[in-house]
Amino acid sequence: MTRTPHLASDTAACCWIPLFALRSELARRPELASHPVALVAPDTARTPRVWQVAPLARRAGVKPGMTVSQAIGLCPALKLCEPDPVHYDEQFARLVTALVTVSPVVEPVELGRAYVGTDGLQEIYGGPERIVEEMQLRIVDCGLRIGSSSIESAIRNPQSEIRVGWGKGKFVSWVAATRARPGHAVIVPSGEEGKFLASQPLAVLPLDPDTHRRLRQLGVKTLGALVALPEEAVVSQFGRAGRRLWRLAAGLVSEPVVGRVVPEPIVAALTFFTPVGERDLLAHALDKLVDRALADPRRSGWRVQAVRVHAELEHGASWLVAATLKDPSATRERIAAPLKTQLERSPPAGAVERLVVEFTAFAPGTAELQLFARDASAAARAGRRRALQSAAREIALRIRRPMLYHVIEVQPWSRLPERRYALIDFEP
Amino acid sequence: MKTDRLRAINTPRRVEVELGLAGLPVMVESRAVESVCEIWRIDDEWWRDPIHRRYVEAILEGGKHVVLFAELTTGEWWVQKP
Repeated sequence: MTRTPHLASDTAACCWIPLFALRSELARRPELASHPVALVAPDTARTPRVWQVAPLARRAGVKPGMTVSQAIGLCPALKLCEPDPVHYDEQFARLVTALVTVSPVVEPVELGRAYVGTDGLQEIYGGPERIVEEMQLRIVDCGLRIGSSSIESAIRNPQSEIRVGWGKGKFVSWVAATRARPGHAVIVPSGEEGKFLASQPLAVLPLDPDTHRRLRQLGVKTLGALVALPEEAVVSQFGRAGRRLWRLAAGLVSEPVVGRVVPEPIVAALTFFTPVGERDLLAHALDKLVDRALADPRRSGWRVQAVRVHAELEHGASWLVAATLKDPSATRERIAAPLKTQLERSPPAGAVERLVVEFTAFAPGTAELQLFARDASAAARAGRRRALQSAAREIALRIRRPMLYHVIEVQPWSRLPERRYALIDFEP
Repeated sequence: MKTDRLRAINTPRRVEVELGLAGLPVMVESRAVESVCEIWRIDDEWWRDPIHRRYVEAILEGGKHVVLFAELTTGEWWVQKP
């Protein structure tokens, strides 16, 4: 594994699919397209809240953030979908993979939005219009299922949900994408950023609600109106944040797209032969999977920076949590602790059929030191362990399939004897 | 990516039993039941694949200790280790 290099580009194309998760859901359940539909938020198992809302449901007054009971009160015909974050993640990964075939500088931001660095691509594809067209063609070919119809051609297709904006820096390209009609692109030529941004509404700026309210009270409704105020006056009212907002509105801030080489994740997975709902058992399984992933030879010399856990639930739903460690670590307790906290706080909404742990980011670590045995019994244990590992490797070489197993407790309290214990492959 | 699958152990095996007057097994695959230790019933997982079983823990001729159960929906008898 190598250190992650940084790739950067000043010109950016923003590819945006609004309500990505909801559209992914409608793509695989087209029968819902003609109903008022909303997606339940994935991390609110205790008090389910509405996450993404289809237009029919919005017209009935349903809004994101409402509780489910409020939403149903407003729209009794509302159809609520359980979230499947693993599926949305996979769909988004397809989109990002398609974009990477156009440019190596891709910066995913959130589900449905990614920036593509386009510096140097003019030599390959031509002007911005050709680059954007190439992106749309690659997205069509990647098999992404989004929206209520399959995408035959994303180019100038009103059925396509994909909007693209091109300009200098991430902010200009993002605003351009929000102005684009579905299936279309808006291109902001270099040097015309200020002119394009002047007519845009205030809502395109990254404002907190209080700042937004205050600016509107001052009569500032567009970025042009904000830029018309002296910069220092805006700074004196809103502080350093005000300076950044003014400079963004003026088109003076050009944040480059930063892409990174993504290391191949280290994955450990476990399939339960009967779905499991008990949190203690899931926490125990998490520990085992983290141990297994840490033992992967590719991890040697690296510490884990980011870890993800996803679960396939009964009845087709899924559960996903991720954690980035403040201090990269190679110990099981430190890596598993934030995952167990999230398991307690937002447990899966159903019984788990399959659990997967992925280490997705790494930091260089010191070489693992072999601790010297402090006493003879520890040395003997180490010797027996080495002998066992050697025997297991010998068996695997001769017979070419796993023949050694551990017996592990699964549900020792179960009233059904066949559910109490299970066999799992012995790992040398 | 290597995926580990848990393999079940102590899975039940279908058996032929002869029942006595009380409806309890007296012969299991031509081995006599020497004593019945315990009897219980489980009705569970109604929300998934319902389980309705009547369990009999028994000692067979020769000292073998087994758990027998009757699937109440089909009438089949199964045996497994305790």
